[in-house]
Amino acid sequence: MGIEIHVDDDGLPQLVERVVSRRALVTGASGLLGAGTARVLAESGTEVTTLQRRPSGVPGVRDVLGSVTDPAAVEDALEGVDTVVHVAAKVSMSGPEEEFRAVNVEGTRILVHAARRRGVRRFVHISSPSVAHAGSSIVGEGAGPADPERARGPYARTKAAGELIALEADSEDFRVLVLRPHLMWGPGDLQLTDRIVQRSREGRMPVLGTGAPLIDTLYTGNAVEAVVAAVAAVDHTHGEALVVTNGEPRPVGELVRGIALAGGAPEPERTVPAGLARRAGALIERVWERDLFRVRSAGIGSADGEPPLTEFLAEQLSTAHWFDQRRTREVLEWTPTVSIDEGLHRLAAYYRDR
Amino acid sequence: MPHIPAAPAALPPHEQLPGWDAAWSRLVTVRSAADPDGVSRTLHVADTGPLLDALGADVVGTIVAVHGNPTWSYLWRSLLAETVRRARRGQQAWRVVAPDQLDMGFSERLEHPANPTPSEMGRARSTYRGLRDRVDDLEALLAELGITAQAEAGHPVITLGHDWGGVVSLGWAGRHRDAVAGVSTLNTAVHQPPQASLPAPLQAALAGPVLPASTVATDAFIAVTTSLAKPSLAPEVRAAYHLPYPDAARRGGVGGFVADIPADPAHGSHAELTRVSDGVSALGAAGVPALIQWGADDPVFLDRYLDDLRDRLPAARVHRYEEAGHLLIDDRDVVTPLLTWAQLLLAGLLDDPASGLPGPRPHADDDAPATSSHPVLGVTGRAVELELADADSDADRGDGATAPAAGGVPRLWDRLEDWGAPGSAMREYTALVDMAGAASSRALVGARRRPVAVGWGEFQETVSAMATGLWEAGMRPGDRVSMLVPPGRDLSAALYAVLRVGGVAVVADQGLGITGMTRAMKSARPRWIIGQTPGLTLARAQSWPGTRISVATLAAPQRTLLDVSDSLYAMVERHRDPAASGPRDAAGAPLAEPALAADAAVLFTSGSTGPAKGVVYTHERLGRLVQMIGRTLDIRPGASLLAGFAPFALLGPALGAASVTPVMDVTKPATLTASALADAAIAGQSSVMFASPAALANVVQTAGDLTREQRAALAGVRQLLSAGAPVHPALLRQLSAVLPHAEVHTPYGMTEGLLLSDIDGEEIQRLRRAPDAGVCVGRPLPGVEFRIAPLLEDGTAEEVTLDAATGHGVLGEFVVSAPHLKDRYDALWATDQQSKRDGLVRRDGRVWHRTADVGHFDAEGRVWIEGRLQHVLTTPDGPLAPGGPERIVDALGPVRRSAVVGTGPAGTQAVVVVVEAAVPANRPARRAGHHRDGRPKQGLAPTALAASVRAALDPLPVAAVLVADEVPTDIRHNSKIDRPRVARWATDVLAGGSVGGL
Repeated sequence: MGIEIHVDDDGLPQLVERVVSRRALVTGASGLLGAGTARVLAESGTEVTTLQRRPSGVPGVRDVLGSVTDPAAVEDALEGVDTVVHVAAKVSMSGPEEEFRAVNVEGTRILVHAARRRGVRRFVHISSPSVAHAGSSIVGEGAGPADPERARGPYARTKAAGELIALEADSEDFRVLVLRPHLMWGPGDLQLTDRIVQRSREGRMPVLGTGAPLIDTLYTGNAVEAVVAAVAAVDHTHGEALVVTNGEPRPVGELVRGIALAGGAPEPERTVPAGLARRAGALIERVWERDLFRVRSAGIGSADGEPPLTEFLAEQLSTAHWFDQRRTREVLEWTPTVSIDEGLHRLAAYYRDR
Repeated sequence: MPHIPAAPAALPPHEQLPGWDAAWSRLVTVRSAADPDGVSRTLHVADTGPLLDALGADVVGTIVAVHGNPTWSYLWRSLLAETVRRARRGQQAWRVVAPDQLDMGFSERLEHPANPTPSEMGRARSTYRGLRDRVDDLEALLAELGITAQAEAGHPVITLGHDWGGVVSLGWAGRHRDAVAGVSTLNTAVHQPPQASLPAPLQAALAGPVLPASTVATDAFIAVTTSLAKPSLAPEVRAAYHLPYPDAARRGGVGGFVADIPADPAHGSHAELTRVSDGVSALGAAGVPALIQWGADDPVFLDRYLDDLRDRLPAARVHRYEEAGHLLIDDRDVVTPLLTWAQLLLAGLLDDPASGLPGPRPHADDDAPATSSHPVLGVTGRAVELELADADSDADRGDGATAPAAGGVPRLWDRLEDWGAPGSAMREYTALVDMAGAASSRALVGARRRPVAVGWGEFQETVSAMATGLWEAGMRPGDRVSMLVPPGRDLSAALYAVLRVGGVAVVADQGLGITGMTRAMKSARPRWIIGQTPGLTLARAQSWPGTRISVATLAAPQRTLLDVSDSLYAMVERHRDPAASGPRDAAGAPLAEPALAADAAVLFTSGSTGPAKGVVYTHERLGRLVQMIGRTLDIRPGASLLAGFAPFALLGPALGAASVTPVMDVTKPATLTASALADAAIAGQSSVMFASPAALANVVQTAGDLTREQRAALAGVRQLLSAGAPVHPALLRQLSAVLPHAEVHTPYGMTEGLLLSDIDGEEIQRLRRAPDAGVCVGRPLPGVEFRIAPLLEDGTAEEVTLDAATGHGVLGEFVVSAPHLKDRYDALWATDQQSKRDGLVRRDGRVWHRTADVGHFDAEGRVWIEGRLQHVLTTPDGPLAPGGPERIVDALGPVRRSAVVGTGPAGTQAVVVVVEAAVPANRPARRAGHHRDGRPKQGLAPTALAASVRAALDPLPVAAVLVADEVPTDIRHNSKIDRPRVARWATDVLAGGSVGGL
């Protein structure tokens, strides 16, 4: 425990009691962000428990295997914990809404209630910028309120509901801070990075529309740093959501090209009009969910069972999505250490070595 | 017979009034002289007094704001809110009292047995309030609130009005002119000239049965008024304006006001209107401070009503807002200027030159005094050498704006009347050479004409004869004269004639486009137009005001068609007199010279940041400018000037130098060829040359055509002044091959201060590798002072300024002071005041000018320009001026021109570089996404180009690099980048829009 001087909104210095986390639970530590966070916390001397269905692979942590939807596993994982970092979620571009709801809404509810009941002091909740995103274009905005009604797609809607559950539980004794990392990429990321690389190698990665819309992204290493910074920051600032990005908006076409080149693939040159891509995405999404033509069972699409293009993704890649990072950086007292250009160098090294 | 019932006053439903605070509303019962004894009336009044008392504010004065028809006190909500906000922050607290007039807003409704009719208004039998009743009502209210007594006891009271409220408030002020501290009004009219008809919309509204139908029975009149806002009002605000007038029973007052317009002397309110307007004239005569803010786009309150007010209130500060209309207070922020004015008034600083100047009304009266009261400078005994006042003593003397006309300031025609006088040894020497031979025009480019040379004697006789003719035609000192003559011999003669008479030359160049020129002409209100057929045709077609005079004598049918009264050439025929020098009046007496402090010219800015502004120069300031040019270029009388940028030929006669105009399309500097330039140099044996970078670029391009003789002539050029835009070092290098002995000066300036700093070609080359951002424009010229106002996080400039020594390296707005700066902006008081505000802070007796150019001083005190204040990006890392990074990107091989703009909300803008690609020297193979000539197509930059731009600008965070087929620039100089337009395009593209357009 330590005392820090903090300047409040009125510019007045305040003494803040800063409790250094001794025992933390990280959920979803089989993914890149969860595992990275668990590793850094453990290396800095925190006793770390993880909760996910598969072993985390992080050295020096206690793995509890199970789902956040299983109250018994959650109780087990929360044993002796003062801080929770809730990363676990069902992340997917499409699928039946019930599956998302079970993990992203009910799982969060179970975890939040159990943690509060057990006297956990800090709760860092990982959300997504899509929870506040009803319209088409985001140009330099801050983090708007989560909106489960208007958010697009089952993932965003259920993450919005989950975020609201976490924020409603916020109090002086149970300090909740929400981070919304935007479009994470980097070495080892299978969700976005590796897909761009693989599809580019196969000549199947199109550039949608002009390729010019500005989008914000977040290098995975920076994302881990931001979450660790949030574990410290939640002591003085809580009850709000922060979008986290590299703070370097770039044209989507340039990013896709950069990632493809780093992965040793040729520059994607095929362009698809954005409107057409969006309509095609919507159609594919419907077909995929119902498996009308048995495309999914026939193994068409990508290897991970995701449809090749969803309306949401098509829109993400053809309209602007970038954010005001001033509040985030002020609260977290953090700026990303790895720039996009440096990240692309690291990504290239990663693929070279593989 | 429609019957309108009485209804009591009420507090308005504040929840339906966006921007309204219920705490402002009160009901006040008064006994007005308009009512019989014993009858009282209740008004709804917005009054911040009680709120300010509760805040414990120290109220410094009261603003009485009176609405017109068909608005109500809701009109003043921004003033009410802002004054309270300032009081809360501990700033000067002004109380605002804004009544709803009777029968209007939420005030009491009177009983009316019938609809209003113009014939009954203002007469005893009418149940409707006439103008006199309304002034009486205001009188009663201000007496009841104790404000009249306060005013008489010295508490500052300012009246403010709009529309009919302007008349009523000025009526009260006229009755209390010893007590009122100041008067202010928005669009209004206190006088209906008998010869002028009513504005069309009012004629329509007044016509017989239309009146009650449009004003009482329906809400048409209200709906039309609230539709006049530009941009449109928010629906809920519009609804709030309509709220007190839901049905005919609530709208009697609306019809009453319209019926009360005294369209002719027989009208019952005509006498009271005359009393009001006489009262306004008396306020003017008594020197009561006045501020008039005016929306130029008002279909009812036309400029002629503004002219009338300015005549009555000659010292009024006037701000005329282009593109704003009748509901001015909803269109523009008029509250800030009003409160600034009130603050200056209170501090007794209104007459300080740093508070902005009033400026005479442009459209002078016919019966204005014909002669100037200022002493006439001696015509004889002038030294042949141009007096070059010592620079240091000049600086010590201060700015000269407030000082009485100082000696040593040359008048532009001095040299002309001296050297061109009968018996002068200089008479036969060349004053002008026009290589095109005749009046310059587009058709003559390239045509072989014999050059025409004009001697000082002939030119003097021409100018004097024109001036005599203009005087005879009725032109008088202060008359504004629009000059629609292309640069050349004719313009030179016409300009000197107009200035000599005392006319004020209005110059708006074609770069503004027809809309911009029309706007400029309507705002400058010239009484005369001098033009050639194209200009006169335009003037006729666009209905520009002014008596039209042609240059050449036109055939009778054309004269009629263009409504031309006379021609300059005819004047020369009539009045040419080889035995005299200088113009004469009808009795043959020499015309007095205009006063040094009198207006000489209104020059319009290029309008790259909003509507073009009229910049007023006095004779003194023009004289100082000529002095500065002569000094900077070391031009001795007798020199020969090569005018490679045609307008500069105008300066020749004032400098005592022969000016030679090469053959070119004067409207397009880039049409000047090396051969044409050389031929002019041969004809004029010129050693000094004026040009623009665009003209120089073409000279370099066409240098291959030069003959040996032509090359030799150009080698004789010793001084080159390139103005309008910075010269690129690469162009300088190329120029040295064409003009090997020329010392290149590229001064920095603007319409408001034409020559402020100077840098020579050698220094530009030397600084090519300097680490500084932006373009170096050299050091301040002698007598010019530069200071810098550091930029704040939000991209605005600090109020406090630093000098070069303490402020070097700081990014800020340059603030300058010089004897030859503008006198003021024309009819833009708030802009003028803001531009000069540093004088109020510094109290050093100099007049300062905020340039809106940003940049920095280097350690040597040199000035570096990095762009316009309005173009500064506000990134999360702080403000960023675009000029620095643009210069770096421009230096990259594949780039021809670039623009650095921001996208996204202020404070978190992303940096975007838009490049116009250069055509590759070796045409590469045809590639996807590229033009045939090898340039990338408009849109996202190719990977390599984006990477090289990012690398060049590192560590600046560049979000995107876009390619545009063409980065748009201004028409006037083809060099100022239209960054707002680029930013709009880039923002759209980067949000997912199409890459077309721009």
